[in-house]
Amino acid sequence: MAQINYRTINVDALDPEAAVNFPLDSLLPGNLPPPTTSSGAANVATQVRQMLRGGDPEGALRHVLDTAPLGGDDRAKEVHLAAVIEVLQGIRQGEMTRILEGVCSGDGGSERADCLMKYLYKGMAAPAPSSGVQSPRKSVSPQSTGFSQIQGRNLGEGGGGQQMSVLLSWHEKLVELTGTGSIVRVMTDRRTV
Amino acid sequence: MAVPQAHHLFHLPIADHSFSSDKQTLVVAKDNNVALYQASGNKFVLNDELHGHDKTVTSVDIAPKSGRIVTCSQDRNAYVWEQTASGWKPTLVLLRINRAATFVRWSPSEEKFAVGSGARVIAVCYFEEENDWWISKHLKKPIRSTITTLAWHPNSVLLAAGSTDSHARVFSSFIKGVDTRPEPSAWGERLPFNTVCGEFLNDSAGWIHSVAFSPSGNALAFTAHDSSVTVVYPSAPEQPPRAMLNISTRLLPLTCLIWNGETEIIAAGHDCEPYRFTGDENGWQLSGPIESKRGAAAGNVREESALNMFRQMDLKGQAQADTQLKTTHQNTINTIRVYEESDGHVKKFSTSGVDGRVVVWSI
Repeated sequence: MAQINYRTINVDALDPEAAVNFPLDSLLPGNLPPPTTSSGAANVATQVRQMLRGGDPEGALRHVLDTAPLGGDDRAKEVHLAAVIEVLQGIRQGEMTRILEGVCSGDGGSERADCLMKYLYKGMAAPAPSSGVQSPRKSVSPQSTGFSQIQGRNLGEGGGGQQMSVLLSWHEKLVELTGTGSIVRVMTDRRTV
Repeated sequence: MAVPQAHHLFHLPIADHSFSSDKQTLVVAKDNNVALYQASGNKFVLNDELHGHDKTVTSVDIAPKSGRIVTCSQDRNAYVWEQTASGWKPTLVLLRINRAATFVRWSPSEEKFAVGSGARVIAVCYFEEENDWWISKHLKKPIRSTITTLAWHPNSVLLAAGSTDSHARVFSSFIKGVDTRPEPSAWGERLPFNTVCGEFLNDSAGWIHSVAFSPSGNALAFTAHDSSVTVVYPSAPEQPPRAMLNISTRLLPLTCLIWNGETEIIAAGHDCEPYRFTGDENGWQLSGPIESKRGAAAGNVREESALNMFRQMDLKGQAQADTQLKTTHQNTINTIRVYEESDGHVKKFSTSGVDGRVVVWSI
């Protein structure tokens, strides 16, 4: 008979009542957009890049936030995050407030603001994408909850610090506009980006 | 608006408070005990303490007509306190739960009360004459996590519950022999015990802090930890709701709410002051804070003397230590209750919070 080290058995996983077995998908609303793939996200990225080059940063930000792959797989979300950060980095400091006000107003404006806040936090959590190759993110938490708090931050090296400062200045501007409520919603919302 | 009447009772958080119907008695949950305050002039003085629970008391409620007090605690017990010639006498309630009791409210008929708990059940309790004690029946079915809040429908049969599984639900708590058959409503026609009349989830989820039926009982509002208030208008039994309106705010999460008529909601929470929401089936919006904070700010500035300034610089290395909030409450508001109303409209309401204050507001 095989030796079983009973101490290493995760007893919580066997208990249907345990918190780790909470059905997290029961927190997803019914109106989730259909799943998208990384190629779809890559298409959006190309469109957005064109809009940026065409001198329409507000349209680019609006589009990239409207097409967030809330129902997509990890890879699609990864590609989309890169596109969002590219847009955020492509907008000059002086224009931020004006563009934000444009994007966060009108129909669905508050959803876009919440979505942008999710990307800001995700961007700050993720290691800065090194040029070209992106390593798949290692999940640190025992279950894939969508949030992983412990991550290499790459603060010191190369473009990481610069990306962080861009995200932080967007964060400041966004909180001025939408208040602390949208930060709280990043934490509660299970429709992760 | 008149100046809110603030009573700073002690330096401990108040989990819940309740006024008797004549407003002469105020009961607050204070640590492991329940403190009874008596009005004297425009102050409240400590009159009695109800000892019995041996863990934090989470909720108290006075039945307006009978004057009975029900309390529940993290020690998994609930007591019904009745006033006798020799003081308040507790009766233990058989809750049959194995986790903390989190919330308790009397039904409008005062024949039942409901206790929410961490054991993922709601114990609906009623008095059994034969055995002369309070027994409970459990509402269990789709609840996946701790019940944080409860609210009764005016018909005393429907019960709204909010949970940390981010769902607000409406149950039937019909108990044969205690309740009379309710009028059919948009929530349901036949209502045997544990009928789920509605289950609602916000897009941005967030656990539910507070639920409330509108005065007519035909709408349900709830606040969640996603800083939003959601109002649901049911259409017909077993049908999706006619309208479900979500107002996401820029505030910190709101922890409690009450209705003022059918077109206004007053909610308060981590921003330490009450806010007013107005609207109807076609749309709701945040109309703004109820408190006007100018007076308080002016008072603070006057206190700032040169001596004080240098003392602050010496002690703390800063000229102005601004730890005083401009709101009446100095910390999160936990509970909001109707204090006085006429024709379904709230004239006064009371709030209590983590700062140990109970405040009566007039609108």
